[in-house]
Amino acid sequence: MWSWLFQRISAVLLIVTLAIHLVFTHILDIGELDYDTIGARVAHAGFTAVDIILLAAGIFHALNGLRMVLLDYWFTSRRRAMALSTALWVVGIAAMAYGTWALWPWMT
Amino acid sequence: MSGKPREIANVGTGLWKATGMWAWLLFRISGLILVFYLGAHIIVISMGRFDRLNEVMKTFDHPVLVLADLALVAAILYHALNGVRIILMDLGIGIKRHKAVFWAAMAIVVACFAVFAWVAFTYIATGSGVVD
Repeated sequence: MWSWLFQRISAVLLIVTLAIHLVFTHILDIGELDYDTIGARVAHAGFTAVDIILLAAGIFHALNGLRMVLLDYWFTSRRRAMALSTALWVVGIAAMAYGTWALWPWMT
Repeated sequence: MSGKPREIANVGTGLWKATGMWAWLLFRISGLILVFYLGAHIIVISMGRFDRLNEVMKTFDHPVLVLADLALVAAILYHALNGVRIILMDLGIGIKRHKAVFWAAMAIVVACFAVFAWVAFTYIATGSGVVD
């Protein structure tokens, strides 16, 4: 039930932040994306917030969605489902840490 | 024994006569594509940490990759708008007109995609975007 609810909450966050992200990367800055232009954008506090929310909600939504798909196939027993969830949490936290580390020089 | 033959029930192969099954399948496929894209995207952006971001970003300027990017936008738009439809159904909004809601969502997908396609093709043709 919680995974269902948080999938929807992260979905709403993603619609807002991803819309902003796509307008800036695919429309306004198309062909001009490099280390400096990305840095100039992310340096704004608002964009730091957008990118961190995008990263966190994106990783959660992606891995929870992957979990829902996999639960329909091989991960059908309670034990396998638990192992899958644990593995995905490890992957998710690692991805969040790595992604934050990647953005860090631009945000600070 | 007149009248139309009874509609085949939505079971077995009959399931695939319903638009909803295709919407569901496409939702899964687009979702899985986006999961793998997110992983790749995080790795590409992290190249900034190794002073390699600019050279990597330059390779994405190739027309084929601009088109791949546009396909990615299509997957995002479909997944987002079909997701909005699912949330509306969860909230009990528009259930009685669920087919109209689905096609309205798809119309929004097409309209948004047209804007992104216009920008992408302009970029491929002229080497610059439509807004400066």
